[in-house]
Amino acid sequence: MNSFAEINDKLIESTIEIFTGMVMMEISVAGGPLESMGPLKNSITGMVGLAGTHKGVLAVHFPKQVALAVTSSFLGMEVEEINEDVQDAIGEIANMLGGNLKTILSDRGRDIHLSLPSTIYGDEYAFSSQAEVDQVILPFQAPTGLFYVEVELEH
Amino acid sequence: MEVEKYLTDATLEVFSSMVFIDITAESPTEDPAQAIQPNLSSLIGFAGDLKGILAIHCPAAVAMGITTSMLGMEVAALDEDVKDAIGEIANMVAGGLKAGLATENKKIELAIPTTVVGKSIHTSGLSGATRVVLPFFSPLGRFGVELRFIHS
Repeated sequence: MNSFAEINDKLIESTIEIFTGMVMMEISVAGGPLESMGPLKNSITGMVGLAGTHKGVLAVHFPKQVALAVTSSFLGMEVEEINEDVQDAIGEIANMLGGNLKTILSDRGRDIHLSLPSTIYGDEYAFSSQAEVDQVILPFQAPTGLFYVEVELEH
Repeated sequence: MEVEKYLTDATLEVFSSMVFIDITAESPTEDPAQAIQPNLSSLIGFAGDLKGILAIHCPAAVAMGITTSMLGMEVAALDEDVKDAIGEIANMVAGGLKAGLATENKKIELAIPTTVVGKSIHTSGLSGATRVVLPFFSPLGRFGVELRFIHS
């Protein structure tokens, strides 16, 4: 398997690409990878599973105000609450990131398949996987605040 | 395709052989995930001939009771042991679904379980997927097994 350092760089590159090209929002890396995250407050998470030669989860965590701005920019419509449009937009972003991660992990994404994206939101929640995984959390700066891309892969 | 049956059978099997708690399947309702008000949800994605996500939704008391019975140890909070236990149940129920689908020559592969713990958590999928929600009754209270999928 590729080392996580190598995956990190490509993941950062593809996240910036998706935001510039699809969401129409300028973002930048906000520091080095994090070891862990505290509870998410008033946030929404988009996640998608990876199955096949690599098993894991990709998740993207947005505080509410960042999720609303991302959805408005991505769909070209104003949103003021976490509604179905926001859930679909955040799920779709997780799906696109997962698609890129697939390509990063395996040549042209062969032998890795994505599950359906899912979203989780709430006033306060903590997100975790089983113990036996390699994990990385990358922080990004959007105009309205920070958001995080998290990858967990089974050994 | 008898997805509901595979899910029900897999859940009953896991609880009788691994968790050692008697549970009964209730008839599917519109949205028990909300009615149950989970404090802990374990989700696992799958892909293949069907792609989707399976989730186990538990109130705190049920999640802790299941863990106590499964691991044979007292738990007093939604800690790592509880997350691991319910995540493992999601994994095993998804494994049962995989075996059921295999009898129809439908193949799926599983991702890894992820657990969310919190107050008033909501989970949702992409609009357009088929959704099955099965409530189960246990001596500790009710919990839900949810499946959302599309045909690849």
